Amino acid sequence: MSGEGQVRLLYRAGVLGMAVFALGPILYMALTAASVRPDFLSPGTGFEFTAAHFLSVLRTTSLHFPDYLRNSLVVSGISAALCVGIASPAAYAITRLPLPGRMLFLLCILAVSMFPPVSMVSYLFRFMGTLGLINTYAALVLPYTAWILPLSLWILTSYFAQVPADLDRAAVVDGCTRLAALRKVVLPVAAPGIFSTALLAFIFAFNEFLFALMLTTDHAARTVPVGIALFEGLHGEIPWGVVMAASVLTTVPVVLLTLVFQRRIIQGLTRGAVKG
Amino acid sequence: MEEPPGDRRPLPPDVRERHAAGELVRGYAFLAPVSAFVAVFVIVPVIGTFAGSLMQDVTFLPKRFLGPGNYRAMLSDPGFWQALRFTCLFTLVSVPLELFLGLAFALLLAHPSRARGLLRACVLIPWAIPAAVSGRIFQLIYNYHYGLANYLAGLIGLSDRPVSWLGSPVGAFAALVTADAWKTTPFVAIILLAGLSGIPGDLYLQAEIDRAGVLRRFTRITLPLLSPVIVVALLFRTIDALRVFDLVFVLTGGGPGGSTNSLSLYGYHYFLSGDFGYGSAVSVALFLIAFGLSVLYVRAGRFARELA
Amino acid sequence: MRLVLSDVGKTFLSLRGPVRAVRDVTLAIGEGELFVLLGPSGCGKSTVLNLAAGLVKPTSGEIRLGGRVVASRDGKVFVPPKERNVAMVFQSYALYPHLTVFENIAFPLRVAGEKKGDIGHAVAQAGKTLGISDILQARPAELSGGQRQRVAIARAIVRKPALFLLDEPLSNLDAGLRASTRGELKRLQRELGVTTLYVTHDQTEAMTLGDRIALLRDGAVVQTGTPRDLYERPETPFAASFIGSTPMNLLKIPVLEEGGNAVLCLGETRLILPPGQAARVRRLGTAGILFGIRPEHVRIARGTADRPVTGTVTSVEDLGRESLLQVRMGEMSLSVLTGDKTVREGETVVLDIPPEEAHFFAEGNGP
Ligand SMILES: Nc1ncnc2c1ncn2[C@@H]1O[C@H](COP(=O)(O)OP(=O)(O)O)[C@@H](O)[C@H]1O
Ligand SMILES: [Mg+2]
Repeated sequence: MSGEGQVRLLYRAGVLGMAVFALGPILYMALTAASVRPDFLSPGTGFEFTAAHFLSVLRTTSLHFPDYLRNSLVVSGISAALCVGIASPAAYAITRLPLPGRMLFLLCILAVSMFPPVSMVSYLFRFMGTLGLINTYAALVLPYTAWILPLSLWILTSYFAQVPADLDRAAVVDGCTRLAALRKVVLPVAAPGIFSTALLAFIFAFNEFLFALMLTTDHAARTVPVGIALFEGLHGEIPWGVVMAASVLTTVPVVLLTLVFQRRIIQGLTRGAVKG
Repeated sequence: MEEPPGDRRPLPPDVRERHAAGELVRGYAFLAPVSAFVAVFVIVPVIGTFAGSLMQDVTFLPKRFLGPGNYRAMLSDPGFWQALRFTCLFTLVSVPLELFLGLAFALLLAHPSRARGLLRACVLIPWAIPAAVSGRIFQLIYNYHYGLANYLAGLIGLSDRPVSWLGSPVGAFAALVTADAWKTTPFVAIILLAGLSGIPGDLYLQAEIDRAGVLRRFTRITLPLLSPVIVVALLFRTIDALRVFDLVFVLTGGGPGGSTNSLSLYGYHYFLSGDFGYGSAVSVALFLIAFGLSVLYVRAGRFARELA
Repeated sequence: MRLVLSDVGKTFLSLRGPVRAVRDVTLAIGEGELFVLLGPSGCGKSTVLNLAAGLVKPTSGEIRLGGRVVASRDGKVFVPPKERNVAMVFQSYALYPHLTVFENIAFPLRVAGEKKGDIGHAVAQAGKTLGISDILQARPAELSGGQRQRVAIARAIVRKPALFLLDEPLSNLDAGLRASTRGELKRLQRELGVTTLYVTHDQTEAMTLGDRIALLRDGAVVQTGTPRDLYERPETPFAASFIGSTPMNLLKIPVLEEGGNAVLCLGETRLILPPGQAARVRRLGTAGILFGIRPEHVRIARGTADRPVTGTVTSVEDLGRESLLQVRMGEMSLSVLTGDKTVREGETVVLDIPPEEAHFFAEGNGP
């Protein structure tokens, strides 16, 4: 066999392995969710399709799964919007205004995102308790926004830096004030980057666990990762079909986002890391 | 030439003052909301935790200043050392594994192909789903009775009896490492992929003209030019692995017998039981370890960049 | 509208300390004039333009536009760009990528709050003037470089500005397009009769376009005048070498006084300077003088000449209609532009250097 043929074969095998590695567990999750019995792999049994687990996740009111999902979507959505709304003016100032110390500011903010969440959570628990916010959306939205802001700012700054300063100048000469130039030119041109950042912020917030575990107590504000983690069966045995059905329903939004906006997500992620 | 081009004569004082005036204040106002949020919800809590670690702060007991008492207690607690050992071991095993796999994936993804976009999206999916969900999936995979792991082991004849993965310290450790690798390899791959696409193609062409083999091209061009990006990926991953919480919480709950307690989980248990002072001391310890390592990495990164 | 800059200076504060980008620049640009700022890159041309537009505040001096002070010495007066009614074309064109060509051109009018019907009419008019009526619905990314440049100009002229500022508008075009657009720009400027400040680093562009030129160096004006003035009477070796399609020869040659004549010693040969030139040399003082002669003024004489100087041709560069020769005479080397295509490398030639075309500069402010 020629060297080139070998390389091609190796590549094909590698891609296959990679796809199985990435998607195998997802497929297994989906199959278990749709199977009458969780032990469909064992000898003497087999796969038999049922939608019962999905229906029970959605209909059993005591599970509160739809509540968790709604909480997650609302909290993540608001956090992402807040993040982008707060970080965009800052990114604009960092890339456009001659502010001494702006790079230092950016680096310090980025260093903050390295703090382990566990070193904030107990204080936040008491703080939110004092304010009477435990088990409300605010108890999650506020820390999420603060915790995701550094990365958002970092990514947005690199997007804003790519919008040529000549565009601002042109807008100002054409009669805009600085603020109008930001609104009419810089923001629309940076819109794809802002969208990518919001997408990432949403995913980070959607996946957060520790804050949600500590700062919520029940379905009024509990998010879906915590809901799934605390899912227990009635008799000690984990109801795998139901847990996997809930997992499938949880992954659907993020998987859809990933498939549709793959390029934007990758762009945003790599801006955060590689341009540094 | 009458005057050198970069004239360094001191500015008249009024020039400086005019620059420093209102415009700067307005400029910094743009940064205020970010600073406020981060200060109130990140920096103040971290400081609060530092302060709390010096107190006796247990529910139903009077609050009082302890000084290093919590730290002393922590250092003589075998549970702390076990958590520290697990956390370090977990980081030391999973991060290199993810880096290795991530590099392989990045090389595969960089290859031009028609299905490239779809392939990238597929690889990205494990990263995008919550760790709590992936913890559940791997809990099922490593299920003693009917999990996929034991099924595959039986299929290829690795063992005739099912393995009690989550029931043994080594098995639980392996389960955590594979689950973490599954979830975070995509992140590493995407970062390294971006690094790869930043390497000028001319270099490879030149190497081909110089008849450098595949391996040589990889070790002489790809790795050195990728090293700054590798350092970034390492930094992100190490920090993340050190503070691992959700995956352990869901997949093993720290068991069996506390053998997979991570520092975050160990500290959390004290918060849960109402000993905030001690839990804070553990959090501070984790914070310091993570901080020290990032400083080390940044140093190493600078070193690597100087080498390249 | 007249634009007057008096002793304008701009110092940027950067991380590496203050940068004096513009120093004491004084210019008076007349109504309807096409005034060119010429100089090497980094000499502060764009900064002067930005000062006129109001994008940058001066750190000293005063700017007046049509008699009105728009930026004052003490910083008390500063009229923002919005109220100056200036239009600008950027080197990068700075078209808004998220808007169509129509919306780009309409942008300044919309910001000014003009009526929809008027805007449509004005954009159509500007589009017709620049021959881009057929691409009004396209986006900038779909256009060629030449088309983008036209859109940028259309956006600038659509609001009938009091002052037209162009920052190297042709430097991103390829050579052929650059020459034709140059002519068109000049015609357009004449038609509109709008006062124009045009920035370029290309002396050909400056010479062909400008009513007057200001030559800049290190943020300061070196010389101001018509293209003829700058070509025929450069005041510094820098001006002499910057203006002209092939740089002027500048040689350190001794000038002697011999029998009441000023005599130039070119190797073995002596050239007697005409009285006018001699007077200039005497003003400069005969010690340490730079002698300049443009390559196009040196002639290959072959055989005999009135003032024969001989040299060896060391290189021949064929420029098409003419050739650029490097001729070695002893230790000196001279560029010569000639239509004679028979000269070969290594050949010994006789040069005719007309002293009336010679320039003299004091040494010390060398190139
Ligand atoms: N915003 C700025 N901050 C600091 N220095 C600047 C700024 N703008 C221009 N300069 C400096 O001023 C000098 C002149 O720049 P510029 O006017 O752009 O030159 P030109 O247009 O002739 O190439 C350069 O040295 C440049 O680095
Ligand atoms: Mg310029």
